[in-house]
Amino acid sequence: MHILKSRPWNLPDSSATPEALVFGRRKALALGAGMLAATPALAQQATLPPAMRNTRYAPGRAITAEREVTTYNNFYEFGSHKTISAAAQRMPQRPWTVKVEGMVEAPREYDIDDLLRRMPMEERVYRLRCVEAWAMVVPWTGFPLSALLAEVKPLSSARYVVFQTATLPSVMPGLRQSWYPWPYTEGCTIAEAGNELSFMVVGAYGKLLPPQNGGPLRFHQPWKYGFKAGKSLVSIRLTDQRPVSFWEKIQSQEYGFWANVNPAVPHPRWSQAQERMLGTGETVPTLLFNGYGDFVADLYTGLQRERLWA
Amino acid sequence: MRLIGLALLALAAGLYLGFGTDPLGAVLFRLDPGLLNLVQAMVQRYLLPMLWDSVLLPVLEAPVWVVPLVLGAALTIFGWMRARG
Repeated sequence: MHILKSRPWNLPDSSATPEALVFGRRKALALGAGMLAATPALAQQATLPPAMRNTRYAPGRAITAEREVTTYNNFYEFGSHKTISAAAQRMPQRPWTVKVEGMVEAPREYDIDDLLRRMPMEERVYRLRCVEAWAMVVPWTGFPLSALLAEVKPLSSARYVVFQTATLPSVMPGLRQSWYPWPYTEGCTIAEAGNELSFMVVGAYGKLLPPQNGGPLRFHQPWKYGFKAGKSLVSIRLTDQRPVSFWEKIQSQEYGFWANVNPAVPHPRWSQAQERMLGTGETVPTLLFNGYGDFVADLYTGLQRERLWA
Repeated sequence: MRLIGLALLALAAGLYLGFGTDPLGAVLFRLDPGLLNLVQAMVQRYLLPMLWDSVLLPVLEAPVWVVPLVLGAALTIFGWMRARG
């Protein structure tokens, strides 16, 4: 007797996908692949160039969880609260250009993907200390600012570098507050910019830098309070005039030009002696220059009359 | 009540003459540059972020005389209706 046992792979003819749909899908996939190949910027925007970790800057603390770093953010253009990460996703990351201009021999405007290909990429694990007395440790991917400056050749008369954040009113609700001195600008001296720690950041945790953290391009000087690090940069300008930054124009007594981390100099409204680690909640002592004194203390020789710590 | 309403209307007129169509936020910023930043931080961090964007920000974006004008008009009309019984 012939017994027909139904196997799991025995499907009725009615389940078969019509031939036209199968070949139509193949055509669509082929078309998509072709379009991707024809637009290199689109194909490349999803990946970060490979970068080896530079161990010269060991942070001495555990790396903060990625989730904490990407969901607890200060980005005033999106609001004053910490949960701006969802709103920041509306900020387009491509196409993106950044101008390097002002007192340089060779001013340039870079497409961000071109910049990523040109610059010497590396990963650095840096401490970040917010002026609000919280801190984190982040593996940033990027390149030294000095490498970028070497391309544009600063004039000998250039004394300061000014970083300007994008102004995108359609996605940044904070810009509705027309009374503030937008765009967000920050700055440092040319000597600080040339310090080996000054880092242009394009990635974090091995991925492209997310918009809420200042993608696609931000600045970071780990010995200064975090507000000094301009996010989502569109212009880097060299000048002989000391810039008055965004926060300095609003509350100069709280947010000054130098803003070097110092546990002994309190913020007008709170102590800076300790800091709360993001993620663990652990409270640890704040370090002078955020622990980077060996690299940067000599930058401030002879500047004792300046307000270096706020 | 009607007196308070009339006083607010007079204030609105004075603000119009003094500041024209400047937003309330801009005038407050001129008086105390750090004030709105502090208020925004308190509202968005400890109350509700949307309260700032959807309620307070539109008020701050309006000309400086709008708030006293609206309040003054409302109190004046309300007081007048109560007086009429």
